[in-house]
Amino acid sequence: MTGPDTGEPPSSSSLSDILKQGLEREGLGHEREDRARLALLQRPRFTIRARLGLLFLALFLVSAIMASAGWLILAGVEYRLRYVTATDVFANEIQQARRYEKNFFLYRSELSEVLQHLDAADLLLRQAAEDIGPVVGFAEMTTIRAHLSRYRHSIDELIARNRQEDFSGSTDFKTLETSLRDDGSRMVSLALDISKKERAQISSLISVIQKVFILTSVFLLFLLLYVALHLSRHIISRLDRLMAATQRIATGDFSPILPQRKYRDEFSYLTIALNHMMQELEQRQDVLVESHKIRAVGNLTAGIAHELNNPLNNIMLTSEMLKEDYAKLDDEARLDMVNDLIEQAERARSIVKNLLDFVRESEVKREQLHLHNLLEETLRLAGNQIKLNKVKLELEVHPNLPPVYGDRSLLRQLFLNLLLNALDAMPTGGKLTFKASEEKEVGFLAIKVVDTGTGIPAHLLRAIFDPFFTTKPTGKGTGLGLSVSQGIARHHGGNIEVDSTPGQGTTFTVHLPFVTIPAELKVSRNSNGSSVGSI
Amino acid sequence: MASRSLDICIIDDEIVVCKRLQQALTNDGHLVETFVDSRSALERIKEKRFDVVVTDIRMDEIDGMEVLAAVTEKGEDTKVIMITGYATIEIAREATIRGAFDFLSKPFKPNDLREMLVAAAKTLEVHDRP
Repeated sequence: MTGPDTGEPPSSSSLSDILKQGLEREGLGHEREDRARLALLQRPRFTIRARLGLLFLALFLVSAIMASAGWLILAGVEYRLRYVTATDVFANEIQQARRYEKNFFLYRSELSEVLQHLDAADLLLRQAAEDIGPVVGFAEMTTIRAHLSRYRHSIDELIARNRQEDFSGSTDFKTLETSLRDDGSRMVSLALDISKKERAQISSLISVIQKVFILTSVFLLFLLLYVALHLSRHIISRLDRLMAATQRIATGDFSPILPQRKYRDEFSYLTIALNHMMQELEQRQDVLVESHKIRAVGNLTAGIAHELNNPLNNIMLTSEMLKEDYAKLDDEARLDMVNDLIEQAERARSIVKNLLDFVRESEVKREQLHLHNLLEETLRLAGNQIKLNKVKLELEVHPNLPPVYGDRSLLRQLFLNLLLNALDAMPTGGKLTFKASEEKEVGFLAIKVVDTGTGIPAHLLRAIFDPFFTTKPTGKGTGLGLSVSQGIARHHGGNIEVDSTPGQGTTFTVHLPFVTIPAELKVSRNSNGSSVGSI
Repeated sequence: MASRSLDICIIDDEIVVCKRLQQALTNDGHLVETFVDSRSALERIKEKRFDVVVTDIRMDEIDGMEVLAAVTEKGEDTKVIMITGYATIEIAREATIRGAFDFLSKPFKPNDLREMLVAAAKTLEVHDRP
């Protein structure tokens, strides 16, 4: 016992050690958060605002294209309408001219009327050529113009030769009549043809416009539907994720949210803020656990001081007597007394060490723990307190329980909290039972802490795990014990349940997942970080 | 220091306390019986009258208060000195109200008890005289 314990940490706890451990742990939390933030920020940026902007740009472009297409087609329709009107008027003039021409051949009436109409038709053609230009029906126009000039030529010749006698019976007269009829009817039918063709064109253009409008509307509808669905799914899925994260936080899991999508958007910044908040919360939680640990020790003070006074008293009595009787005692008696001194000093040391082990271990260190040892350590720490409260203690731990994987100090604190609560519930003594058993089907261990105390009324049961909830008088309880304990259990993947009958007692059941991984493998992985197992 | 020889019964579940107090008080010429187990001590008290009973308060099974009760019940002039640790001081104060002669707080020195015994012997003498 007196040999140098090189493997063990020094048993004296210095404040700087604790602070250093705290800082390292804090640093670790920072690092984890920083990594998550970096991962979140490293993604290319594509914000929801940008997505909305793109959507509106696309909508504008589609509408603009549709509008210009409609405008162009309408312009075409307008040209063709003017052309159709011109050809209709032209056909009308020619038909008028021909009516006078026929009258001439029937009644030999004047031909000047024909010339008037031909002039009007000619003017119309020239205007149309200027106005409409070569856009439509250029070829037909030239043909019509050729016919018109020939027709006019024939009329001019007819007027000139009509003054001659017996011209009406000559062959030239017959030829002129035929050529006039031919050119006249050709012009009319051509003009009507053009008009008919152009009308067909116009109606087909109008149907194109109708189609363009319907198609764009349908296209816009689908585009909008797709974008709305996509955006809402995008936003809702992020909200769902964040909501899940907040629920996770409520159960005490403070691991940062990691990126899942390719792009970074407004939600990424919210996630970063949440991660930061979680890191802060985790630190607060650690501080809370730590400070509550000190408080739990405070509750143990009386018992520990009492326990420490026994070896101190023994040492004092023995050393006094050794001094008093030194001369008259034989060697054997002296040695006996010195051995007593050493033994009692050792006893005092172990009391202090046990306490310090509990207070000092602030670095969270996960290892395989056997419940039997864990519970015994806890009970040793509070053993005297239990005796002082005249509480009878029973420990029922099933043999061969699988180990749990967790932090020794935190779990000891959990059981100590439950134990101290049970003692408080039994001010006039009673029986306290620790029962540990296996819930094989679910892979959990169940540790029941059963007291025969005052019990908890049903309406308070739901609130007892809330922070700052306490039934103890002001100054006696912080209301954090059970909240901290629940936090520790959740931190280990378990939870605490409570069942109570007022007047008969309360049972707290701690569920903790047990370990199924072979121990050697884990140890070797922990020691050198490689994955080489020793199995 | 010893004024007269007293019959003393010492009860403490700490064996070292029994051993050293026996050593110290025997040196002073008292008759000392020690008990680690309070049950057998109680039986002995029923048989024999002691001048002084020195008992620890916190013991398994039968505690110091029950020892005090048993002694006072017997009605003999026996002084009871309670030994108390840190957590039982209130009980010790209560014990003096209930008839204990005095109490000793751990850790104490043999001389603390000796002074108390001197005082106890004096009151015993005062009572003995008439």
